[in-house]
Amino acid sequence: MTGGLWLGVQRHGERNVVASQRHHGGLRLLRPLYLDSSGQPCLTVVNPGGGYVGGDRYELGVSVGESSSALVTTQSATKVYRTPGQPVEQKQRFVVEPDAVLEVVPDPLIAYRDADYVQRTRATVARGGRLVMTDIVTPGWAPDGSLYQWKSVLLKTVIGRPTGALIAWDTVHMAHGAYRGESLTNFSVSGDLDPHGFAAERTHLGTLLAVAPELDADAVEEVHDLLVEYEATVPGSRGGVTPLAEPRDSAVAAHPQVRETAGLAVRLMGPGTGPLHELLLDIHAALRRRWGHKTRLNLRKY
Amino acid sequence: MVSLNSGLLTVLQFADSALPTGAFSQSMGLETAINDGAVNDEATFRQWLTHFLHHQLVPADGWAIRTLVRDDADALTVDAMLHAMSLPMEVRDGNAAMGRRAIEIARANFPSPDIERYAVAVLGKGGDEVEPGEFRTGVAAGSVPVVIGLFARDHGSGWRDACAAHLFTSLTSLTQNAVRGIPIGQNAGQRVLRSMHDEIETAVRRIDGMTDDHVGAVSPALEIDQMRHVWQRARMFMS
Repeated sequence: MTGGLWLGVQRHGERNVVASQRHHGGLRLLRPLYLDSSGQPCLTVVNPGGGYVGGDRYELGVSVGESSSALVTTQSATKVYRTPGQPVEQKQRFVVEPDAVLEVVPDPLIAYRDADYVQRTRATVARGGRLVMTDIVTPGWAPDGSLYQWKSVLLKTVIGRPTGALIAWDTVHMAHGAYRGESLTNFSVSGDLDPHGFAAERTHLGTLLAVAPELDADAVEEVHDLLVEYEATVPGSRGGVTPLAEPRDSAVAAHPQVRETAGLAVRLMGPGTGPLHELLLDIHAALRRRWGHKTRLNLRKY
Repeated sequence: MVSLNSGLLTVLQFADSALPTGAFSQSMGLETAINDGAVNDEATFRQWLTHFLHHQLVPADGWAIRTLVRDDADALTVDAMLHAMSLPMEVRDGNAAMGRRAIEIARANFPSPDIERYAVAVLGKGGDEVEPGEFRTGVAAGSVPVVIGLFARDHGSGWRDACAAHLFTSLTSLTQNAVRGIPIGQNAGQRVLRSMHDEIETAVRRIDGMTDDHVGAVSPALEIDQMRHVWQRARMFMS
């Protein structure tokens, strides 16, 4: 493994602290910052190497104990360079205990020409726990300025309950130009179905997945209103939001008439990192307000 | 000469798009694309359908049938994964509604121990007594491709044939919906379906080559359309 970082957060009175910390190789934690008066630490993960190259394997584990709260972010964009052999693999494991909050808001992914990146995220959220995760995939970077020159970008996110019951299984796979061929892709970079595919101004992909008891139909409506507003002001943007279902484990089967919502999912396409990032932070602010965290996140990085 | 012992008639009955699963009321995001003007004639519909086949049916339904038949996977695990992969609510609910109808029909007409086990998991023990439209009490959501996979296992059909039959039926239902919804002529609908034969062969090859990493890798653009449908003002379809 190239680098690993495992953090355990616990509540100590009014503050939440990193109670356990372990790291390996090239992944470090910056000194936790308290961005507002909520007592929530902002945990900034740093890759001192600056970027990822072929065969690199990283692992990030964060668990938030009962009633504790943490925000996880990165110091700068995740840059994945040319990956000739094995793909770069980033594993993430998040555990959220009852009444706890974990918010994971990393910088965007920038995959360079011929990059091959795999991100596998597994999150376990206890009932009553709250998880928000965002991701932005940029069209990457190539010397001649052309877009989507990477080999493959795969983001795989599985969210479940401690029983193993699944809430969301999200796979985003973007491979260059393979739409008509044998290889699998869910993303046609030639924009085969413009204006519904990725083309013209719609170059960036954003995702937000959230699980929390406060996220009901009203929360979905609020996010939808934010999307409508965003689309009216940012040309080329397009997004959708949907409730996520509570899995039909035995707890749910006991109340068959109640169709329970576990959280919500947002998928966005937009013209650039800036506006997409701002909208994701607006949505994030609307969600955390529902569990009493009143400030909008300001990381002052853009 | 076709041998009727091969389960051909079972496939013909069950893979018929007229099977009353309610597929006629599910557009799976097509209605959003029609409403936005992105799909407006035979050519744009063919593009949309090709995209739907390769980027929705292949990584979800196709994988499910393959893993049930070829790898003998557990039906309830596959059911739960398919349900969790369908992020857009209307697609999730639409697939579950069709799946519940499919397992009811299968249980009544093509009973087997596996079908019965899945029926109990989806419908609950008192499934027959629940009024139509009422929310059922099973621990599994219900899924048409899971029922198809169990059929193929019961009747010894290969996963490729079962996949091709299910993919083609799904495309036929959507084409009938497009004929009404866009609208395009019945002859145009048949031309589109004929042009899908080669696409389905390609799709089955792609399903064959899928790794675990690609399971559920549906198109984000399609997902966005499917999520938006619920807010559309005038709707002919439930998804």
